[in-house]
Amino acid sequence: MDDFKLRPVFLFSLIIFVILFDMPAFAHKVSIFAWVEDDTVYTRSKFSKGKRVKNSPVIVFDSDGNKLLEGKTDENGEFSFKIPKQSALKVVLKASMGHMAEWKIPFEEINPEAVSNNSKPESDIKNSYETSSRSQTINSGTDLSALSESHGISKQEIKKLIDKSLDKKLSPIMNMLADSYGGGPSLTEIIGGIGYIFGLIGVAMYFTSRKKKKW
Amino acid sequence: MHISEGVLSPAILTGGAALTAIGVGIGLKSIDYEEIPYMGILTAGFFVASLIHLPIGPASVHLILNGILGLILGWKAFPAILVGLTLQALLFQFGGITTLGINTLNMALPAVTCYYLFGWGVKKSSGRLIFIITAFAAGCCAVLFAGILVGFSLYLNGDAFLPAAKLLVAAHLPVMLIEGILTATCALFLRKVKPELLESYYG
Repeated sequence: MDDFKLRPVFLFSLIIFVILFDMPAFAHKVSIFAWVEDDTVYTRSKFSKGKRVKNSPVIVFDSDGNKLLEGKTDENGEFSFKIPKQSALKVVLKASMGHMAEWKIPFEEINPEAVSNNSKPESDIKNSYETSSRSQTINSGTDLSALSESHGISKQEIKKLIDKSLDKKLSPIMNMLADSYGGGPSLTEIIGGIGYIFGLIGVAMYFTSRKKKKW
Repeated sequence: MHISEGVLSPAILTGGAALTAIGVGIGLKSIDYEEIPYMGILTAGFFVASLIHLPIGPASVHLILNGILGLILGWKAFPAILVGLTLQALLFQFGGITTLGINTLNMALPAVTCYYLFGWGVKKSSGRLIFIITAFAAGCCAVLFAGILVGFSLYLNGDAFLPAAKLLVAAHLPVMLIEGILTATCALFLRKVKPELLESYYG
């Protein structure tokens, strides 16, 4: 039986070809990742497995779907803008050839104070400071209020300084997150997909063979 | 070549899905017991082909292999491509579930078209030169037509047709070339080892 010898050969050569050729990168999904640092929103856009999306429009919407601003990604697929409005934002990337991706930034990320403060007005600084410091778990045990009094710096200024240095410290982590987000499919998924197809062959053959038997 | 979710309007999506349903229906009707393994293998090939990324040009392009599917499967390329795209959408997040219909149409219709345009030449009886040229043309044109169809889908959605189609075709020129060579090579291989795969059902 020629058939049965050759079929695996064909399949095998196909798989070898794919594995050999596969090296450069996977493609064909776009993703956008956005994060907030201070009062600026940073975004990074890429095709799956790394290739950056260059010169593509990025549109920013607020929570009600109103268009706030529009920009273009640079050579590194990055685009940043000042927070245009105190609301949850939706960042939509329109890459060429019918590709699109979006990322939602919740309100808490845009303005953490507003959320932890909630209904309380700005005047209750001590309270707001304590809640936010607790939520960020940076309460190192130092009595910051005493510190501020002795040095003549207001609590808010300290908070601003801490926020700034935190942003600085966190930015490599955010960069790493942005890089790892939207990677290409893993080997498991590829093998799994091929497995599904072989399973479907089985199902299809089962049904066609039943049809045959009836006749 | 996969159109993402949320790009096209619902009318285009349903239209594409309806036409795909017709194509899949025709394809399924003509399936024979012995052909199922080939279909499966070609579907698997199509499924992984989109992972072969060509780092050429401004955009992100990959192999499609719809030409060879069309040549061997004819109308059965429709169900094969639908299965391949469904799995790509579910596992790789390429394209999307709502765009399955239009994406299948955009890739399978060129496959069937190339089958009718060039299938006559890809036979054992035809001369070697004609065989290679038609196989190459089938692989090449399937990608070209797919690019034009995707451009047309975007045009229906309100984009300008010519720039979109030009960009798509330009970005896929290397793919066209490679697929042409690949299709010709595969067809030559099949002609040697399994010519009946190319002969059996034409028309």
